[in-house]
Amino acid sequence: MQCSKCGNPKVIIKKEQSGQLLCKDCFIESIEKKAIKTVRKEKLLDKGDKVLVALSGGKDSVTTLEILNTFREMHIIDLCAVTVDEGIANYRQEGVDIAIRHAERLGIEHKVVSLKEEYGITLDEIMQRDNHKGSCTYCGVFRRTIINKAAREMGATKIATGHNLDDEVQGIMMNYLEGNTDNLTKLGAKTESKAKEFTVKIKPLREIPEREIGLYVVAKDLEVHFDSCPYAMQSFRGEVSEVINQLAEKHPTIKYSTLRGYDKIKGALKEEFKKDYSHGRCVRCGEPSANELCKACSFLEELGL
Amino acid sequence: MSFVLKYKNLEEEREIPNENYSIKDLLNDLELSAQTIVSKQNGELVIEDTVIQEDDEIQLVQIIYGG
Repeated sequence: MQCSKCGNPKVIIKKEQSGQLLCKDCFIESIEKKAIKTVRKEKLLDKGDKVLVALSGGKDSVTTLEILNTFREMHIIDLCAVTVDEGIANYRQEGVDIAIRHAERLGIEHKVVSLKEEYGITLDEIMQRDNHKGSCTYCGVFRRTIINKAAREMGATKIATGHNLDDEVQGIMMNYLEGNTDNLTKLGAKTESKAKEFTVKIKPLREIPEREIGLYVVAKDLEVHFDSCPYAMQSFRGEVSEVINQLAEKHPTIKYSTLRGYDKIKGALKEEFKKDYSHGRCVRCGEPSANELCKACSFLEELGL
Repeated sequence: MSFVLKYKNLEEEREIPNENYSIKDLLNDLELSAQTIVSKQNGELVIEDTVIQEDDEIQLVQIIYGG
């Protein structure tokens, strides 16, 4: 058994979808090339961009930072990062510390924003309330608002997230199965909003399977936070993910074909279903919002904050 | 014939039950999915088809968590 590219006998991966065998160096190169190919194909970066990486300290965001840093080293873009501290005891601090160390290692501008400082409450405290809506509901909305705000404050022209192939395919299937055509139009490598206050979001890792990102960080000895969020529960996303992974065992190319199929119909979906939201301002915080109150502020009001 | 297994906080000596006992067999015995784990044999990344040898140190790193 030897590397299909260079003949090295120390193989670290057998790609199920192609049968290709790769050694450590050729595997690392293949992942970096693939992400760079996505960046070029989808025109995710423009020269002079300042890209804000949403950096949790987990494998996906650390890989995103590492790969985008190659563009920074070539003086194509500038890089900065934001880490959201949701206030989850015995979980988040390790990721925050790792994120700080990566930002220091690369010498990039980095900001840690906590829910406590921003909204006066931690996710743990919200979860002690009797009438809460579930942790992921608050976490998703507050995190998105904080990241958007940080992008504006830091002068970023793009926000890069660590969404991988598995995340994208789960998103496509979940929204399809739920008949959510509105959300289906919002997926993809690059999402832009008509409201200029919402920075363009890019996903350089969307064609790389989750397991390969995990293998990449271990192969490159990158420090990451491998742990499960204590609030992770049996969500619909989890159920969909399980079905897709079961199918992928017998049909190893199924994640790629789902993504390709979606990319082919995305244009038609947008044409047919894209809603033209009227963008006003949230009366409470001034952030762009389709309603009187933005989602984050409506949650805060419900929480009595 | 035994090897050392390292997984999370666990470090234990285990018997090699048969010839050609691979990391894939070990993952099956531990009811772990190869999709969520990467494996190291004596500190070096290897594929799951790798046969475990006497006195090997096999480290399993969980890279995918739910949620």
